[in-house]
Amino acid sequence: MKQFDIKEINEQADIIVVGGGIAGLTAAVAAKEKNPDADVLIVEKQTTGFGGKANKGGGVLQYFDLEHMTPEDFVQYHAHSVGCYLGDQNVMKKYVAMNNEMLDRMDGWGVEIPKKRIPTGPMTYMVGIDLNVTVNMRKTATKLGVRIIDKVTICDFLTNGDTIQGAVGYSIVDGTFYTFKAKAFVLATGSQDYKFAPMWSNGRGDGIAAAYRAGAQLRNVEFGNFSQLYKKNTFQEDVFCDNSMYNALGQNVTKNFRRFPEADVSATALREWYEQMSQGKGPITVHVKMRDEEGLTKIWDRPYGMPFWKADIGKAAGKDPEFEMVPGFVGEMSPIRVNENMETSLKGFYAAGDVSYAGSAAPGAVPAPPGRNRGSGILNAVFAGIVSGENAAEYIKGAADPTIDDAKVKELKDAAYAPIYREEGVLPEEVIGNVQDILCPVENSIYMSESRLNIALKKLAKAKEKVAKLKADDFHQMLYAHEAESMVLCAELFLRAALLRKESRGWFLREDYPMMDNENWLDWIIVTNKNGEMNFDKERVPIETYDVQPPKFN
Amino acid sequence: MINTKHVINFNPENCVGCKMCYKACFIDVISWDEENKKPVFKYVSECEHCNYCEVSCKRGCIEVIPDFASQKFRQSFDIYR
Repeated sequence: MKQFDIKEINEQADIIVVGGGIAGLTAAVAAKEKNPDADVLIVEKQTTGFGGKANKGGGVLQYFDLEHMTPEDFVQYHAHSVGCYLGDQNVMKKYVAMNNEMLDRMDGWGVEIPKKRIPTGPMTYMVGIDLNVTVNMRKTATKLGVRIIDKVTICDFLTNGDTIQGAVGYSIVDGTFYTFKAKAFVLATGSQDYKFAPMWSNGRGDGIAAAYRAGAQLRNVEFGNFSQLYKKNTFQEDVFCDNSMYNALGQNVTKNFRRFPEADVSATALREWYEQMSQGKGPITVHVKMRDEEGLTKIWDRPYGMPFWKADIGKAAGKDPEFEMVPGFVGEMSPIRVNENMETSLKGFYAAGDVSYAGSAAPGAVPAPPGRNRGSGILNAVFAGIVSGENAAEYIKGAADPTIDDAKVKELKDAAYAPIYREEGVLPEEVIGNVQDILCPVENSIYMSESRLNIALKKLAKAKEKVAKLKADDFHQMLYAHEAESMVLCAELFLRAALLRKESRGWFLREDYPMMDNENWLDWIIVTNKNGEMNFDKERVPIETYDVQPPKFN
Repeated sequence: MINTKHVINFNPENCVGCKMCYKACFIDVISWDEENKKPVFKYVSECEHCNYCEVSCKRGCIEVIPDFASQKFRQSFDIYR
């Protein structure tokens, strides 16, 4: 039997932030600014300020032009064109209204935002910000007295009834076991990424899985299917390529799904790819001259991102001479259900940023940022970070000291370390490969049907059997095993909820139910863990209380 | 991306042990050798070539060479051709 000398460390704080990307750093800083006496600790599985997604992709920030529009204008546009009436319009309005305050506060936290304004869509601007955005925010957090523990992953939470009390985790470097106690937790571990197409997020659903196991409700899991077109040979994304897609017959196929300018990336482009290919009219290529004339060159002003872009684009240059485009699945499930205070269904447990984007219901029928608005992830994370941090800082004033059950801690530790003690078993990449094979084909995850979803679930059941056999040779690989397990859980959540939603709405497309069904499906799918079983409920969207209604809706 | 064959070239001569590449790696492909104050490129088959280690190194010690052909798209395009 394998032997390891596992050290144990107990940590306590008033507020523990899980995840040191832009949402987590914002929550920590906002909590400290609101309540300077609070002991705030960030725990990050990689390195705080470096691991998150804010600077990947060149640090693109989308913000609003409040000099020429109102939050109500944007909510109107968004509800009709992007959210398709499934959004919580009140949260979206609050978010847009905070735009100028957020930019000012980011400036105060040491984030450099160029003053040049480049319109990129209805009512929005986009700029390339300092690639050290989160590194500088880490410095600000440290100055304010926020403590940071890096290279430690939190794998489960501890509750007492419906109130959060603590968490357990381990060092991915030396395996040290950590027990954490806090009055409040802020989960900021990012959206789910299946480690397939590059979006450079290390959120594999492990934060989502831990919160789900602890009893936090999930919402909009069926919107965990972000995908986009990539160049075939190099996996390079191609911004605005949707607008200039051609088939092998030389026909402009963008015209089949897009008749007027709209938010950039869309599931309908991927559906069109599938339909053209399955009719034998492929391959699909991008008309480069047309794409550049219509959009790309106009927004290309990202002074801080040049070292990144030079490396990324430079290495792929010339390797895709045909400009053939193919779909690449990312995932981006972001389902932790939160209310307007960013509090989950568990007391004292908050969630911010991409982990709770769809779960907040603010955006409606789209996956996490970028959803259909490229660059919107940063400001969304700052919004949710401020709201969650300030509310957590207030909550701890009246919260009782946390208590944890030692027997439960031991049970969770034994479960977490099982892969490292297993002599024989399955390697994490085998399970991850199985999940990718199931979800990556467009017809399984973007343009879905009942029969294909059922087959996908059957295949997933086989991958799920391997989870209990996952083995790890070191603590880095133990994290990899937990990430593989979380991917299987997220895939099951997605496929089962996708089977339930018998309509097409926004990003969500079913071949067998092609129409939006406002009579039966102005509903959120809510998932709750009941004794280890996934429990799916429908909850009506309170559309009558919102500003914007669907056409002909009574 | 799993089981890729991307290559990371490292020149230890110019390395001053600033640890920036280790911090910059968002998926722990790079470990840190505390004794010698040098990065160890331990889990290269998990690399997603985000290039941040290369871009973060002020001394130009690191070069990431993507092997694009080792990335699998996991959708059978040939059945449509």
